[in-house]
Amino acid sequence: MTALPLRIEASGLTKRFGGIAVVDAVSFQAHAGEIVGLIGPNGAGKTTLFNLLSRVLRSDAGTLLINGIDATRRAPHELATLGLVRTFQLARELDRLTVLENVLLAARDNRGERLFDALCRPAATRKSEHAMIQQAREALSIVSLAPHEAKPAAALSGGQKKLLELARCLMSGADIILLDEIAAGVAPHLVEEIVDLVARLNREHGKTFVVIEHNVGVISRLCSRVVVMAQGSVIAEGSFETISRDANVIASYLGQAA
Amino acid sequence: MQVVVNALASAAIIAPAAVGFTLTFMLFRYANFAVGAFVMLGAFAAWTVNVTAGLPLWAGGIAALAIGAMTVALSDRLVFRPLQGRTGATLLLVSVALSFVLENVIRFFYGSQIKGFDLPLTGPLMIGDLRITREALAVVTISGIAILSTAALLTLTPIGRALRAVADNTSLADVRGLPVGSIQTVGMIIAGALFGLSGTLVGIDLAIDPGLSWAVTIPIIAAAIFGGLGSPLGAALGALAIGFAEELTVMFLAPAYKGAVGFMVIVVVLLLRPQGLLGVAVDRK
Repeated sequence: MTALPLRIEASGLTKRFGGIAVVDAVSFQAHAGEIVGLIGPNGAGKTTLFNLLSRVLRSDAGTLLINGIDATRRAPHELATLGLVRTFQLARELDRLTVLENVLLAARDNRGERLFDALCRPAATRKSEHAMIQQAREALSIVSLAPHEAKPAAALSGGQKKLLELARCLMSGADIILLDEIAAGVAPHLVEEIVDLVARLNREHGKTFVVIEHNVGVISRLCSRVVVMAQGSVIAEGSFETISRDANVIASYLGQAA
Repeated sequence: MQVVVNALASAAIIAPAAVGFTLTFMLFRYANFAVGAFVMLGAFAAWTVNVTAGLPLWAGGIAALAIGAMTVALSDRLVFRPLQGRTGATLLLVSVALSFVLENVIRFFYGSQIKGFDLPLTGPLMIGDLRITREALAVVTISGIAILSTAALLTLTPIGRALRAVADNTSLADVRGLPVGSIQTVGMIIAGALFGLSGTLVGIDLAIDPGLSWAVTIPIIAAAIFGGLGSPLGAALGALAIGFAEELTVMFLAPAYKGAVGFMVIVVVLLLRPQGLLGVAVDRK
């Protein structure tokens, strides 16, 4: 395990809202090829930790390394370049753009989106655009959204939007994907599809995942390691079996459900 | 029929600027009342090249595009970007102020006298009773080409896709890794070029003076509102509607009321269909 390179290495991450530390000096690692589950009661700080890892929020303290590169002060969009992308609890899409366009926008280094290249190197731009479209269609077919590519993203169901998010993550070429409650509010048959997809992307494409999920079944099936948070801190960490026997965890979280 | 020709010609003049205005609104969600000043600046740029330097008007037109693009991009950097995040009302007031500044800068250098392009005299084309000046024909053609190419740019090219993405949801586009700042600058350059083009076209039809800015501001904004803010095609259609409304006013009421048409259209649209012709009703989040 330790031989594998660290994809995410966060230490002492802290975020305060007002006087309250929502994330309190949390250290978090994810190794290459892992699927790490992040669980905890509502308000434990899971999504805030995601926001810190993806730099949507600025941390008040702590450091963050993505693929070994210091990302503590980077802008959110730069993280995609370092190899980290995320989905949102409520799948947010650019509603008025088509499904295919949404995926295309996830491409890193899209030449045609730079004015200089679009004007001065039209042939190269057209060629790269063509390759991009090919790649975007592939990503859509992996998540079985290919038949919907021409629809505006607003026309997709909640579950399909989550699949679109995954397609975008694939298109970005990032090797770390943070999934924020990807199974929440999704029709049961689609949950199965999404879980299988995540497992397959991990196995066949070597993607590293960090997954926030309330569905314990999903966590137990997917995750090789589970991190439990409560009140802004990590209270336990280990395999699903280990943490499900941890007295602390049962008291603060699993016990609630039982 | 003559009304149709005249309406088309006056629509063609304001249409590019209306598209530019709507593009600005799409990207930044504020109404830039300096549109008229940018158009006026474009007219003076074209006039300088055409009359002072004695070059043909097409060269003046190119200069107007360049000056328009530069001024708008600069004003975006120096004036609007630093105020980003303020309310639309603040930015609107700032744009009005900017408009006065630009108008008076021009007045300082060029004086307030009325100017006109140096155009070769040509007779109008007569089709039956219809009188079509060659200038009007050129104005309509050029304006049409400009609007169609802007539409093609927005829908067919990657840079257009990026612009629409930023317009749809700026913060989301940012998280998605788009270089939002430079995409917005590209949008402003395109809008500025469209203002410059309108400036050249307006100079063919009307006299050029620094007060021109306010004469064109209201029709441009009315056209954009009529078409639905955020819809470039709608802005072009809005320009047509304004053109017709103005011509009909001149015909059935009196030329003096022409200036009020824009205001009336704004009032009627906001009362009956606030999202405009092609606009999408916005749900405020």
